[in-house]
Amino acid sequence: MKKTMFFLAAVTLGVSFQVHAKGNFEAGKAKSTPCAACHGEQGVSTVPSFPKLAGQHRDYLYHALKDYKTGKRKNPIMAGQVENLSDADMLDLALYYSKQKGLSLKY
Amino acid sequence: MKLTTMALCASVLMGGIAPVQAAGDPKAGYLKTSMCAGCHGIPGWRTAYPTVYSVPSLGGQHAEYIVSALKAYKNGERNHPSMKGIAGSLSEQDMEDLAAYYASSYSGPAK
Repeated sequence: MKKTMFFLAAVTLGVSFQVHAKGNFEAGKAKSTPCAACHGEQGVSTVPSFPKLAGQHRDYLYHALKDYKTGKRKNPIMAGQVENLSDADMLDLALYYSKQKGLSLKY
Repeated sequence: MKLTTMALCASVLMGGIAPVQAAGDPKAGYLKTSMCAGCHGIPGWRTAYPTVYSVPSLGGQHAEYIVSALKAYKNGERNHPSMKGIAGSLSEQDMEDLAAYYASSYSGPAK
């Protein structure tokens, strides 16, 4: 009995990691319309002072959005933009932009 | 040729071949990446606990944005202990050169 319970607990723990939402690509794409104004189509910004988002790491983008939201990272433009973003929105946007072609690792 | 004409021609030519100091030089930037590559150049590298996230990719980013980010780390507008230390040691020219390197497709001297 103990063994079975332990096994079930372990399986549940493993499965729960998948449930940790990583975002929805299509939702992110739909929500990216206002972002394109500064960050460009698919996150390829054509304005040098607005960073390219295309291909950036998903968790870095999410972290940046969260920091703008909490005020840990201060930027008057971004602060306004993230006001209406929920945590799910930020996950979705981060996933969408991370899948675009653009930035790359450079040594 | 008159001396003044020669002098004028010489100064125009010198102006044309003199390296531009304000804008960044990717080749100079390549030589300055030793502090950057260890975090920004390693696949899968992430920040340290407790806030763990991927170190951002720089390849192909706008040079102007990279410079503004480095300046923000240097003056404390952006708060990150490692970046503050590193950016703090960079001159404006260093920042321009590094930014030009990451923004460009240049990846080192041809073998």
